[in-house]
Amino acid sequence: MKLSGMKTVVGMTTMVFALGAGAAQAKDTVEVAFIGPLSGGVAANGLGGRNSAELAVELRNQDPDSKYHYELLVLDDECKPNIGVQVATKAAADRDVIAAVTHYCSAVAMATVDVYHRFKLPAVVWGAVLPDVTYGNEYPEVHRVNGTMINQNETAAKFMTEQGYKKWVVIHDTTDYGKGHNEYFSKFVAENGGEILETFGVSSDQQDFTAELTQAKALEPDVIYFGGLSPLGVRLRRQMEKLGVEAQFEGTSGIVSDAYLEGLGDLAEGSMAFIEGAPIDKLPGGQFFQEQYEAAGYSDPAEAYGPFAFAAMDLVLDTIEEVGPDRGKVLDALGDTEGKDSIVGDITFDEHGQNVVALITKYVAQDGEWVVWEDSEYASGQRSLVNVQ
Amino acid sequence: MDIGLLGQYVINGLMLGMMYALVAVGFTLFFGVLNVIQFSHGDVLMVGSFVGYTAILALAAIGIDNPVIELLGALLASVGVVALLGALIARYLVLPLRSSPPLNTLLITLMLGTVLRESVRLFFPDGSNPKRFPALLPDTAFTFGNFTLRVDSLMLLIAGLLLIVALHFVINRTRLGLAIRAVAQDEETAMTMGINFRLVVLLTFAIGSGVAAFAGVMNGLYYNEINFGSGLLLGVIGFAAAIIGGLGSIYGAILGGFLFAALQTIGSVALPFASAYKDVFAFAVVIMLMAWRPTGLIAERTSERV
Amino acid sequence: MQPNLISRIPVLCRLSESALSLVAGLLGALLTTGFAIWFLKAENEYVIGFLVALAVAVTLSVSRLGGLDHVGRAFKEHEKLMNGAAVCGVLALAAVFREDHFTLLMISIVLLYMLAGLGLTIQFGYLGLVNLSGASFLGVGAYTSAVLLAHTAVPPLLVLVSGGVMSALVGCLLVLPVLRTKGHYSAVVTIAFAILFMSFLQVNDTLGGPQGLATGEMALFGWGFNTGVELENGFYASFYLNYLLLALTLLVIAFALVKRLERSWIGLSMDAVRLDETAAACYGLSIARWKVVGFTLGNFLIGMAGALYAMMLGFIAPANFSFGDSLILVSIVLLGGIGNPWGLAVAAAIVVILPEKLQMIQEYRFLLFAGLVVLVLLFRPDGLLPRGMRTYIPGGGARS
Repeated sequence: MKLSGMKTVVGMTTMVFALGAGAAQAKDTVEVAFIGPLSGGVAANGLGGRNSAELAVELRNQDPDSKYHYELLVLDDECKPNIGVQVATKAAADRDVIAAVTHYCSAVAMATVDVYHRFKLPAVVWGAVLPDVTYGNEYPEVHRVNGTMINQNETAAKFMTEQGYKKWVVIHDTTDYGKGHNEYFSKFVAENGGEILETFGVSSDQQDFTAELTQAKALEPDVIYFGGLSPLGVRLRRQMEKLGVEAQFEGTSGIVSDAYLEGLGDLAEGSMAFIEGAPIDKLPGGQFFQEQYEAAGYSDPAEAYGPFAFAAMDLVLDTIEEVGPDRGKVLDALGDTEGKDSIVGDITFDEHGQNVVALITKYVAQDGEWVVWEDSEYASGQRSLVNVQ
Repeated sequence: MDIGLLGQYVINGLMLGMMYALVAVGFTLFFGVLNVIQFSHGDVLMVGSFVGYTAILALAAIGIDNPVIELLGALLASVGVVALLGALIARYLVLPLRSSPPLNTLLITLMLGTVLRESVRLFFPDGSNPKRFPALLPDTAFTFGNFTLRVDSLMLLIAGLLLIVALHFVINRTRLGLAIRAVAQDEETAMTMGINFRLVVLLTFAIGSGVAAFAGVMNGLYYNEINFGSGLLLGVIGFAAAIIGGLGSIYGAILGGFLFAALQTIGSVALPFASAYKDVFAFAVVIMLMAWRPTGLIAERTSERV
Repeated sequence: MQPNLISRIPVLCRLSESALSLVAGLLGALLTTGFAIWFLKAENEYVIGFLVALAVAVTLSVSRLGGLDHVGRAFKEHEKLMNGAAVCGVLALAAVFREDHFTLLMISIVLLYMLAGLGLTIQFGYLGLVNLSGASFLGVGAYTSAVLLAHTAVPPLLVLVSGGVMSALVGCLLVLPVLRTKGHYSAVVTIAFAILFMSFLQVNDTLGGPQGLATGEMALFGWGFNTGVELENGFYASFYLNYLLLALTLLVIAFALVKRLERSWIGLSMDAVRLDETAAACYGLSIARWKVVGFTLGNFLIGMAGALYAMMLGFIAPANFSFGDSLILVSIVLLGGIGNPWGLAVAAAIVVILPEKLQMIQEYRFLLFAGLVVLVLLFRPDGLLPRGMRTYIPGGGARS
């Protein structure tokens, strides 16, 4: 971490020097912003996103063909709505900032849409998955590259019932993320003929789940569905093992991270999870991203939403290159984005600025890695999930 | 309710209660000698679990993979380092603030908690993600119907119990314990009797923090997972447990710890409404308990001195 | 003539001393305002670092030379003038930054935190009642205003008051345990309440659950506060200026009230209750009555601050009102110096604006901030501006 701090400082100074050099080449400087949670409980995701967005900007600045020199303003929303409104105001009220890539936490994204609208700042959400962020308002300023939890859970429920599972116990954290997942998953499971035996809400900093899991065990579900993020997922899966709960573990996009695999080791084997977007390592752009990210030497991993932050920033930079550093023009051009190639697949915004994601990728943990379901030994029948009928 | 299930709840609750009790004991010890609340105690525990984890990694790096040695190494390193940390906190942060309002101690230790937490997150390699704590205890399990008893849980429970007995022995049967009790009862008289007040305070903080470190390693062994953020809530709960038990009484703290665990378990199992309300329930009961017994269940025996 | 003149020397000295302190006080106010403008404008990390160091160095050296005592005296002896100077300072800031939305927002937040801090000052500055659930009462006010504005036609000014009243009422739930317990024991009652309140908001869907609620805007005489002012001659002012001015007005009223209270027999009774309950009771003071009055009044102020905070931000969620935020409020009161409303101003500005200005160092800023607070507490254990001795006769400080 110390090294990464040094790296950031070095990065900043090189950016300053590059700025000087840029002025010599008469390239105008354009400012763009990144907002995410850099401190507190979900900082790992925020730092991954920050690094990815920074990478997009640095790569662009190295490109001799780019018309402008870009400077990145990074702000920490702490995953708190009130701080989010503050920093969003800071970015949005600053006329030099042309566009922003914003927010991992849904509650923060919900709180800040009004700010972006009021100040007419084009914003592209890179991580928040609550549908209302885009669908709950008519603001042209708000876009989102990642899919919503609706898409994710529709596929998840359909796929899992197809595997023959019938009975679920749902455990979700009581943040908007977990609660939203619970709502949509329960709905789609019912539509597919499955049954939710019991639902438990747990707080996002809870350590001990034995009381909930003991009850769950007595209900004998086929699957434990978990709506929440990696740290909690690790604890829950671990304690399932301790209590001898024999059920398939199914998570959401929140556990598709290295942290989940490392935190559990062998125990992660066979966990299922779903994420919006194309399988990144399969797209040529995705491989490029992973190579560049490694080459840049960040000490924190990009995490599941890092590629989205990269894609969002890249989209913003492309748009600025195209129409010039003007908020109004960027806004219009962003709204018209259609079939734009990116490292997370094609991006097409609907009238709400939501990327119409055709694809949901199914992942299964196999030998300490998240493997796309279709390529896994689980799909080919060499291994099998728990409780498959 | 089926007996196996009930037994499972009881053993889960006991395990949770043991953890809370060991944290609460620290609060009560510190309060006894100095009348202060050391609010970073939960984070001190978290540091303890990370030190233990590092020790195990270090032992593994030099090729030792005997679980018993690893366990002893983790415990020794963790208790040693954290006891020193506790004494340093007392020496440089708590004692200098003796003459200022008691709230200042609360705030300074709270901020220290933030410093510890953020330091682990930032400076421990990949510290913002949960770490897998190796399972060093045998993982045999006995299953009777709905009841699963794991040997490692049982061992941890016994270890906790032994630690409490040892603590009881230190407080009640040794000269150091006598000095601690004397300082707790009346600091000035204790000093006139030739007790080295500073030394007693430092040792008390070392002991309390050492207990927390032990609980931290226990925590790691039980959940097989440690993370930088686990200390804050554990600290708050430990503090609440110490208070409902009655500050200054070790037995009160232990009682409070188990009581709080019981409340949480009942809250998530036996209440008619959703289990998400269990914290609301547990803390509401705490407030009511305080209204009923304002100085805790085992009250401090002090009279108002005018 | 001669002896007469000599006998008047002490009077002259006193007068000039008093005038000197007034000059010092006004100079201090001027310098602080100038510094605030500079600091708020600073964007570069080195400039910010330099300014922080400058502030520390100047304050330390002035305090060495006894300058701060003069400033302190100025606040005591020329209170009206100094209060006026402080208000003018804020107005000057508002005028300079009238187009700068973000800075105005930050200043308004500082003012609202000060308002909430005043509530806490009554509670633990005067009465010694520990309240570690300040953010929860802020939340009660905020949620009250969100619900009232969304579902009723209650005029917004009344909504502000209802936020305060609601908060005071919720506080009544805690009155019994708070009355019966003392010190650390009552701390745990309020901590329990803070955690309970936030989990309740998160699991309760009727109040928006974890996602939170959108809040309507403040309006006075049909003037919507979310509209900026734009005049023909090119004058432009951000809509946050509306909130800033209203927050300042509320703060001035509350400040006057609290100062009046402190000086009155009520304040004297409260001080007596804090310093020695047994002795106070012996002199016939009703401990319970004063505690209830102080606790309720404090919560009223906090709730009102919360109501305006919600309208200004336009969106509230449970995560804004966590135990951690309560601790931020408490640290403002402690850092400022318990019981001194002026200390609040300095502390609130530090606690709100410094972490924001530390955005440069991104993920390291909380570590640095917490470390700074630890240092302040170690080296100024009574806070930055400790509460002075009570002057029983206003302006009598010089005679004693």
